[in-house]
Amino acid sequence: MNTKINTLAIIVALLAGSHAALANLKWEQTQIELHPALGETKAVGSFKYHNDGSQPVYIKSVRTSCGCTTTSPHKEVIQPGESGEITATFNIGSSTGLQQKTVEVQTDDPKTPATVLTLRAIIPQAVELRPTFVYWQNGDPAKPKTITVKLAKETGAKNLKVTSSSPDFTAKVTSIGANEFSVEVAPRDTSHAASSTLTIQPENGGKPVFATARVVGPGTTSR
Amino acid sequence: MTRRAARQVLLILSLALLPAVVQAVYMRNRLSWRQPATADEVSVQEAKSWGREAMWIDARPGTEYEKEHVPGALPLSTDEWDNLLPAVLNSWSPERKLVVYCSKQTCGASREVARRLREEAGLKNVFVLTGGWEAWKSSEK
Repeated sequence: MNTKINTLAIIVALLAGSHAALANLKWEQTQIELHPALGETKAVGSFKYHNDGSQPVYIKSVRTSCGCTTTSPHKEVIQPGESGEITATFNIGSSTGLQQKTVEVQTDDPKTPATVLTLRAIIPQAVELRPTFVYWQNGDPAKPKTITVKLAKETGAKNLKVTSSSPDFTAKVTSIGANEFSVEVAPRDTSHAASSTLTIQPENGGKPVFATARVVGPGTTSR
Repeated sequence: MTRRAARQVLLILSLALLPAVVQAVYMRNRLSWRQPATADEVSVQEAKSWGREAMWIDARPGTEYEKEHVPGALPLSTDEWDNLLPAVLNSWSPERKLVVYCSKQTCGASREVARRLREEAGLKNVFVLTGGWEAWKSSEK
């Protein structure tokens, strides 16, 4: 009886540990940094893997962190010694600056049941604004506030076009250096709440960017 | 005899659990989506205590926001930044504290949204919700 129980214990332990010891999916890299050129619409990264173990590895799911990122169809079973890749495509859309998207791969490999693959894309901006928001409080002096605008060389633009969606605000553009401008925004008065979207665009066309100007009225939190 | 059998059963269970325990210890940090708390983080309890001063910002994908969100939260994801930011800025006022949250699936999004609100829009009092959407949901139970 004792011998049987001892044998059973050993078998259970061995079975539980065996798959962990034999399955081994290795990723060449789990983070990729991309630098797409201005105007590119996609950033694509391939994550390569290799099954170093002696057991097949099943990919249970591949999940992306947002709707803007898709992955190529992937193998369901990776045989021992087999290599492959998962390609992640980030659709840039209106994104700018550093974008970090992740892909979570779940497998039946007990040693690494989930691996997070990270796609870092640094999206150049044709037009860069600082800050994108200026405001005045009710009753403040209606002094201009400055938004600094930098144009990428690639735009080839020499000037800037700024329009305000509301007549309650004015915007004056001044060149302050190579491809750099200051936009002085001012409310006509600050006696009442007002807001405006400022559309800022290189004079030769191209993708516009937006800033917001507001006169903030009192009692906003009691809405 | 009975005691011996019980010992054997315990031994079997311990051995069977061993790989799981080893894996849990070894993998403990691999799956975690939480990052160490930082000064710009706020707990659900504290954010709730701010009442109407808190302005909730949902950094999850639009589909998740549409399913359910913190009452009164405004959507703001980096994917739809230009379209969604004006609504946030038009609801904002200087006394408000922005609480940005995401979820397990979009763990880095709230940090990125918070960073852009601070650095690009120049807003102050921008916080990331510790534990994200899941923490808020738990607090409602």
